[in-house]
Amino acid sequence: MFAVFKSQLRKDIRSPWAIILLLTGSIVLSLIASGTNQTTQTTVPVFSDDGAVLEKWEPLLNENDQFAFVTGTEADAQANIRDGEVNMALQLFEDDYRILTGSNMPQLQILEDYVHTLFTTEAQLQASGTNQIDALRQAVQEYLESPPYQLQIEAVGGGEIPEYNMELQLLFGFTLFMAMFTIGFKVNEISAERTNGIWDRMILSPLTKMSMYLGHLLSSFFVGFLQIIIVLLIFQYFMDYDLGNSFGKIVFITALFTLSMVSVAMLFTGFMKTPEQFQIIYSSTIPIIPVLSGVYMPPGMLSNPILLFIADLFPLVHAVDSLMDIALYDISWSDLALPSALMLLIGVISMGIGVNLVERRNS
Amino acid sequence: MLETIKLTKSFKGKKAVDDVDLYIDEGESIGLLGPNGAGKSTTISIISTLIKPSSGDVKLQGKSTIKNPAAIREVLGVVPQEIALYEELSAYENLKFFGEIYKVKRNTLETRIQETLEMVGLKERQKDLVKTFSGGMKRRVNIAAALLHKPKIMILDEPTVGIDPQSRNHILETVRKLNQEEGTTVLYTSHYMEEVEQLCRRVYIMDHGKVVASGSKEELLNILSSEDTLQIQLSGTTETVIKKINSFNAVRHVDKTSDGIRIITKKGSNILSELVHTVESEGIQITNYQMVTPSLEDVFLHLTGRTLRD
Repeated sequence: MFAVFKSQLRKDIRSPWAIILLLTGSIVLSLIASGTNQTTQTTVPVFSDDGAVLEKWEPLLNENDQFAFVTGTEADAQANIRDGEVNMALQLFEDDYRILTGSNMPQLQILEDYVHTLFTTEAQLQASGTNQIDALRQAVQEYLESPPYQLQIEAVGGGEIPEYNMELQLLFGFTLFMAMFTIGFKVNEISAERTNGIWDRMILSPLTKMSMYLGHLLSSFFVGFLQIIIVLLIFQYFMDYDLGNSFGKIVFITALFTLSMVSVAMLFTGFMKTPEQFQIIYSSTIPIIPVLSGVYMPPGMLSNPILLFIADLFPLVHAVDSLMDIALYDISWSDLALPSALMLLIGVISMGIGVNLVERRNS
Repeated sequence: MLETIKLTKSFKGKKAVDDVDLYIDEGESIGLLGPNGAGKSTTISIISTLIKPSSGDVKLQGKSTIKNPAAIREVLGVVPQEIALYEELSAYENLKFFGEIYKVKRNTLETRIQETLEMVGLKERQKDLVKTFSGGMKRRVNIAAALLHKPKIMILDEPTVGIDPQSRNHILETVRKLNQEEGTTVLYTSHYMEEVEQLCRRVYIMDHGKVVASGSKEELLNILSSEDTLQIQLSGTTETVIKKINSFNAVRHVDKTSDGIRIITKKGSNILSELVHTVESEGIQITNYQMVTPSLEDVFLHLTGRTLRD
């Protein structure tokens, strides 16, 4: 087994460019995606028949970071929605509003909550009967900075509930995604060796089948695992990303994900006749998995049960969710039991079927 | 020592190996001759236990290797037709890997690596990566990888395909040394007649999955004792001439060569005048004419109706 393991690693050391390229790719993609994510603000056209109404509400509406309300005409807003340039627009009245949209999406609810709160607050201020609304608003804001009653929310383990960090999710997503390629190409060495006769030579040697597979799969695991850990360490120590205080748990989940992904790649190998066929099919299938798993989107955006079911069949979604929970909430080992068990289950089933198919093809 | 008994292998209903009986004595050098697709590689894959036969058996010292593959694997060295090496590693690293998987003891492995490299003439290039080697050098490392554990039986599957004459000679010399000086039993498959003639004491000729003839070179040539072979150089060749000559009563077979034709006739028949007349009537001149001693190539042609390179 160690002879096979060593020979595989020696090959990687001799031509490391593919691995270095994928490692660099995951760093670059994470950086680009987090940069894009930071500047994302949803633009909402806003219009009214009454210019004074627009003048009153526009500054109030823009007192937030999530939405950018841009004044315009009704015709422009409708055209923008129709062309797909924006998803929502807001029509304003003196004491009311109307949201125009082309599709029912999660952001619609967020916008509705925000505008509704703003209008309710303004209505309460006006109901006070004073003519100096701005002064009253200022007074209320100052009063709310030290209110008589405060609701304090704490995380289960104590301390503040951390804000959801999309940059971190993208980092985990891209790192694991790129590692899936490395692992796949490494496992594909089995197909290549079956084609070029090295596999047959090993069969004729005293080496057991178990040792042959273990040597190969262990080297694939090792390289994939090392790639993920290197990227995470770079982001933790050189890019100032906060991966939480439980790096041991992150290493554990990474190891389980890598193990499970090696098995999934083995399953692909079982179905493919040649290494070239593997490369085409694997490279075309793998990029779909993060999309189906919702790795590039904020939580809750993906709600289609069929897509969620398909995503659950791959270890990526379980690994990213677990890593986020570890980094943000420092969840306990017992909370990691379910995703760990699921990844192990995927691994065991895929490996069983994959090895069986490879052996059947050989015989 | 090693025998196959009514060995048959079918793939999707088509027989790749059909009722093949072979026998190899200890220390013998046997040639398995046949064109591409004759069933040679499938036969040796079954003998080396890589695939199971549809029926029949392979016996080593009287014991079935189908039931107990480990018995033959211990004493077998197989040189596959493909270059089964890691191109990214050096010749030395490849041999070290194969030595390790063959469980060659650590204290003797280094010596064995140097011995085999010496044998295949690549000691000076051992640190170079295999991917930088010529086709012939790769084939020599391919052979060295099968020698590390000192196998008693060597199976070489077309080890000289597509290589330069110098490497080819080196490989043939290595195989000859293995057989004659070290007493290794050799099963050598090829579609190069001259290699088999040079290396092997006995030959099995295969075609369409069957053994069509076997024996020593002399025994096989005796098959053609009732025939003469004429080698004729012509100023040109046409299909009409070949057809006309083929229709002569004494002619058994006419084969086109690079500069003329080769005719197999009944022993002692004189077709010269008839031949000159036919050829000249087509406006072609005979530039040379000789009766040649039959070769194994002629035997093969006689038995199968096609040449080895068909």
